[in-house]
Amino acid sequence: MKRIGFRLHALISGLLLLALAVQSATSPRRGGTLRVELRAAPVSLDPREWMAGTMEAATDEKLAALIFDRLLVLDNYGRFQPQLATEWTHDATFKRWQFVLRAGVKFSDGSVLTAADVVAAFQPLFPNGQQITASGSSVAIQSAVAMPDLLEELASGRFFVYRVQADGTLLGTGPFFVSESRENSKSADKSDSAPSEASNTPPARSEGKPAHLRFRANEETWSGRPFLDAIDVTLGVPPLRQLFDLQLGKADLVEVSPDLVRRAMQDNLRVWSSAPVVLYGLRFDEVLPAAVGARLREAVSLSLDRQTMANVLLQKQAEPAAALLPQWLSGYAFLFTMETNIARAREIRAALPVNGAGGREPLRLRVDAAGDLPKLLGERVAINARQAAIPVQVVSRTALHNPSSTASSTDAAVGLHLFAWHYSTLSSRLELESFASALHLGDSGEGVVSSTDPEQLYTREKRLLDERHVLPLVALPEYVGLGQNVRDWMPARWGEWHLADVWLDLPEPAQAQAGNSNAAGSPANPPATALPGAKP
Amino acid sequence: MSFRTKLLLIVLLIIFASVTVVAYGVTHYTREAFEEMDAQRTEALVAQFNKEFAQRGEEIARQVENIANAEVTLRMAIDLGRPNADQSLYVRDANGAAQDHGLDFVEFVNSDGTLISSAQYPARVGYKNDWLTSTADWNTSSAFLSREELPTEVALSLTVVRTQPNVPKPFYIVGGRRLDRKFLESLVLPAGMRTLIYSNLEPAFVPTALISAKGDVEQPERFAPLVEQIQKQPHPLVRTLDWSSDPADAEAFHAIPLMGRNNELLGIFLVGSSRKELVLLTNKIVKIALAVGAGALFVGLLMAFWISARITKPVEELAEGAREVAAGRWETHIDVRGSDEIGQLAEAFNHMTQTLAAQKERLVQTERVAAWRELARRLAHELRNPLFPMQITVENLQKARKLEAKQFLEVFNESTATLKTELANLNTIVTRFSDFSKMPAPQFARVNVNESLRNAVRLFEPQFNEVGKPTITPELFLADALPEIDADPDLLHRAFQNLILNALDAMPAGGTLTLRTSEHDGDLRMEVSDTGKGLTPEECSRLFTPYYTTKLQGTGLGLAIVQSVVSDHHGTISVTSSEERGTTFRMDLPQRQPGVVIVAKDAAPEPKSTPPTLAAASD
Repeated sequence: MKRIGFRLHALISGLLLLALAVQSATSPRRGGTLRVELRAAPVSLDPREWMAGTMEAATDEKLAALIFDRLLVLDNYGRFQPQLATEWTHDATFKRWQFVLRAGVKFSDGSVLTAADVVAAFQPLFPNGQQITASGSSVAIQSAVAMPDLLEELASGRFFVYRVQADGTLLGTGPFFVSESRENSKSADKSDSAPSEASNTPPARSEGKPAHLRFRANEETWSGRPFLDAIDVTLGVPPLRQLFDLQLGKADLVEVSPDLVRRAMQDNLRVWSSAPVVLYGLRFDEVLPAAVGARLREAVSLSLDRQTMANVLLQKQAEPAAALLPQWLSGYAFLFTMETNIARAREIRAALPVNGAGGREPLRLRVDAAGDLPKLLGERVAINARQAAIPVQVVSRTALHNPSSTASSTDAAVGLHLFAWHYSTLSSRLELESFASALHLGDSGEGVVSSTDPEQLYTREKRLLDERHVLPLVALPEYVGLGQNVRDWMPARWGEWHLADVWLDLPEPAQAQAGNSNAAGSPANPPATALPGAKP
Repeated sequence: MSFRTKLLLIVLLIIFASVTVVAYGVTHYTREAFEEMDAQRTEALVAQFNKEFAQRGEEIARQVENIANAEVTLRMAIDLGRPNADQSLYVRDANGAAQDHGLDFVEFVNSDGTLISSAQYPARVGYKNDWLTSTADWNTSSAFLSREELPTEVALSLTVVRTQPNVPKPFYIVGGRRLDRKFLESLVLPAGMRTLIYSNLEPAFVPTALISAKGDVEQPERFAPLVEQIQKQPHPLVRTLDWSSDPADAEAFHAIPLMGRNNELLGIFLVGSSRKELVLLTNKIVKIALAVGAGALFVGLLMAFWISARITKPVEELAEGAREVAAGRWETHIDVRGSDEIGQLAEAFNHMTQTLAAQKERLVQTERVAAWRELARRLAHELRNPLFPMQITVENLQKARKLEAKQFLEVFNESTATLKTELANLNTIVTRFSDFSKMPAPQFARVNVNESLRNAVRLFEPQFNEVGKPTITPELFLADALPEIDADPDLLHRAFQNLILNALDAMPAGGTLTLRTSEHDGDLRMEVSDTGKGLTPEECSRLFTPYYTTKLQGTGLGLAIVQSVVSDHHGTISVTSSEERGTTFRMDLPQRQPGVVIVAKDAAPEPKSTPPTLAAASD
């Protein structure tokens, strides 16, 4: 028995030690600086400056989420979770909503959040029909029409809560605040602008071009101090360089271009992908008479080989897109089909007048979206169209400079645009209307639906697609490369990062001095205190 | 133009011509040498181009073969040989292969011609390249020039095609390098030369298709005619382009057509050679030639002046000597310098003058003797005529001493009368000779010749129709508006009288006396003609000799006086005569006398109206 008892003791002790070791290895630790590299540059953390649907706004939103909070958020299970609003109610018609604010929430400068701050932040974002009012510690939003998807709207996009200070800078209640904003090294000396510790506001997009942003953990945030001490964001880094930096351990989190995903995977890098959140498509300008234009659009549409674009050119990192909204957002995208019929396209082209754009004159295709990928897609579109005897000339974005990727201005010299649309809301209704509005599709008032009824939304989208003023090509997810020491990377499937939950599995301080830049002792980084346990 | 000036000009002309010929020759041969050197440099550059072209082709072939033989390519070829192979796995492989092997263009093409991966045009993936499958064996082919379609342009490529050797179905690897400014930069160019490439990818001339090692070409449209000509006939061509009005900016271009695999014109290689060096060199030579020419002309001018002076001075001395001789100074002597032709000529001249002087002296002496003899004969003849009656009279007187007083007185009176008469005759003879010796110096005045002639004729009018004598008809042909001449009116009148009297004596049986005036060679000509029996040549030659006469009662002084007057007026007199037709005396007098200045135009004084018998001396 003794022997058995000893063995049992030894077994139990071993199991306990093992459990402790495992717990020690997987427990979140506080400290360290997460090094992030992004392609976008410059960025703007002022939601009022964002343009819905643009790739830049998507990046801006990711960074803004570090310093600002929303009233509520949507979790990965499709449930709304409270943030600054602890509870919300609505009337039976969904025309009036009331949000009760969390008590004791403070901005990064220590001032208390009030309902008036929420009203001031949201008021510019609502259309004329909607009203927002403050009442004590709650906020009321009401409209003449029903707002059944108001929660989806508030849980995404520009609906961050902030306070505009007298000098125009913004204060947030989020887990981080901007501690340092730096321009490129060439002009670093004179452009170094170190905001006060309490300021959350980086320079506006139009005022400066920060190449580096440093976010410090907000110790007083209502949600508890994040695990990371800081997040160092380097902007304007080319995709391949980002991949190299990730491989070399110079970065912990990078964007991975779809054409580099296969390579990253071959190199055993951690790559996370979202749901398809970026739509690449074609938009026609009205450069031809209506009847001719419609036939030409049909011919171009029939010439497009989306399968090859997605499966060969983009190496299966994209999905052929037949709908404007993705399946995960609308739920009915599978109902739309795509057809490639070169012979039919040729027939249509042959029946059209020889003169004019798309005939003797090439149809000019301007690639509005930045990067090599859209250019590649544009060239493929040109080749496809050429197969249908429609000459298409690809014009670079720089040749006809227009900084907006969803440029709505109709350039008379351009007949076709290749655009990129980044879905920005979680409401399919709002996304569809925002898309139609930004791309000037159809009559602004006609067919706009206020209902979230999928059938009505499908009808609306089908009408837009049938006009063929816009032709979806492919939908791409976002790809993120992660360092091996990044833990609890749990973003939303629609691409929203949750960096407040992330922690770094750093080596012990004694070992860390050997060469990890995230190690304690760095002047920029306060000594990392690896405290086991959950986020307070 | 003087001989010295001519000589000077000839020498200068010879120097100028020599310098010009030398300058032209140097310039011409320099230009030829330069152009030959330029042609050699161009040939070398073209050879370098061809060599570089071939080397590039070989290098590309090696790189493409390396890609074809790589394990990655083999795996790709094996994988894609399977049914339903995933082509997307290899869509970016061509880009990596191009970067790894330093090629601009790399494409992987499946056995059916489907493009698997393209480094230069990734969007074309999935399309077919039928031209690849039409050739059976690519592995033995060399590099060729091809037209490469790119997303935004069409480029010229030096292309090589190989197949993966270890798979049953052909798997094509197409590699190439762009024929662009980098290629041009690799060519080593001599100073003043440049190379261009025109990519002939459009039927018409496209300015942007012309590139140089430095990028775009200035004024590319100037090359349009050259390119278009080669597009019509793809043969090497040479053209010179003038970039400005300055010839130094001109450039000679050698254009070499670059043909593709199917012998189509894909490009034009242009070798430009600046004419600046040649023009500057030519200008320098011309400037040097001009400077040398100017110096030579200056030196030549001095030398020619000295030489011509040296040569012409003896000639001028000879000419002066000849003029002296012509002026009657027979003793003229010229200094003889040297023994050359000019020296010999001077010596001969001196000898001639000496000879002429001696002959003249002899002639004068002979003529003097002849004149004295003639004078003695005339004097003897003239004196004998009165002396003989005087001798008879004296002898009669001596015989009459024996007669009685009365008879003696009669004889005495008669004899003394005869003696007086004859003595008077002797006195007349002596007076005439005395008058001839006392010919006065002329007193010049402006004289109207026609008027003087009329006055002279007027004196003889009584004799023209004298009763009992044959009639003589005077005919005057006097030119109108004759200028007045410088002459002594009395002497001229006397000369005219003698000539008219002489003509009247020549026509004892009557006839026509013709007087004629005219202007001849600036002089005034006066002719007096008779219709007498004429003179023999011998008589004509001696006619003006003093005391020579053909008449029984003549003194032989009339025509001598005429000749004396003419000579004093610096004129000439001549006679022409033919037997039985008459004689004509022609007198030419200059209008103006040398060294004579007549201040006021006074009316010519009337000649003294002396009887013709007294004023004129009968021959």
